[in-house]
Amino acid sequence: MPDNGNYMIAAYIVATVIILGYTVSLWRRSGKR
Amino acid sequence: MIPDLQAAERTITRGRILTLFSLLLLAGIYVMAFKFTPPEAMQGLAFKILYVHAPSAWAAESAFVLVGVTGILYFWLKDPRLDIFAEASAEVGMVFGTVILTTGPIWGRTIWGAYWAWDPRLTFTLLLYLIFAGYFALRSAVRDPAERARFSAVLGIMGMLLVPFIHLTVFLFNSQHPTPVLMAPQKSPLPWVLLRPLLMSLVVFTLLYFGFVTTRYGIGLRRAALEGSDA
Repeated sequence: MPDNGNYMIAAYIVATVIILGYTVSLWRRSGKR
Repeated sequence: MIPDLQAAERTITRGRILTLFSLLLLAGIYVMAFKFTPPEAMQGLAFKILYVHAPSAWAAESAFVLVGVTGILYFWLKDPRLDIFAEASAEVGMVFGTVILTTGPIWGRTIWGAYWAWDPRLTFTLLLYLIFAGYFALRSAVRDPAERARFSAVLGIMGMLLVPFIHLTVFLFNSQHPTPVLMAPQKSPLPWVLLRPLLMSLVVFTLLYFGFVTTRYGIGLRRAALEGSDA
């Protein structure tokens, strides 16, 4: 079995940053008129 | 018809609640993937990238299909709210599209030995992403709301037509990309212990899509209400 746990962690970090980043962006935009 | 401000605020609140709920479930998926799912025999831990990569593809492609469907409905009903929804869905589709196009190459690097291959599935996914990048360029270039809605509906419908083709690329061409483990003619080759987190993640990403799109739709409705515009 290949030792590629770092790739898994990297992919999850990237996905989380994109999803949370967009959530913050939506939150800020939805809060102000 | 001008959307009303109170309805917009209610939509935003609903979207925010659904987004928060979905993010909590997403944290649960991470725990399940890391702690309670064994590594796959051939691919090892990198296989778990599937649990964010495939559901993102599902969410993005569903988002783009809904842009096309609302585009068709717009030509029929001429309701500006359909255009506002299409814009919201396209934006959320781009977010999930970014997840596909970043996690995919990381997975490819360790399994194929290359971040990118000009494989039909990858190439057409990139093309779909660029079509929707063009969708936003088009929207920002047209000032008249009715004209903007019509033009973007046409592009949205064209983008939608690409989605089933992307699904079929792995069957039509000699593709390096694996065939789907779900929505395929044959029974899923994955054992239940590896399939379960994928099914749950698909549900969570679908909820997250609805949370995002509802909030973004509410923002669009509020903007239209404040501007008093009627496309």
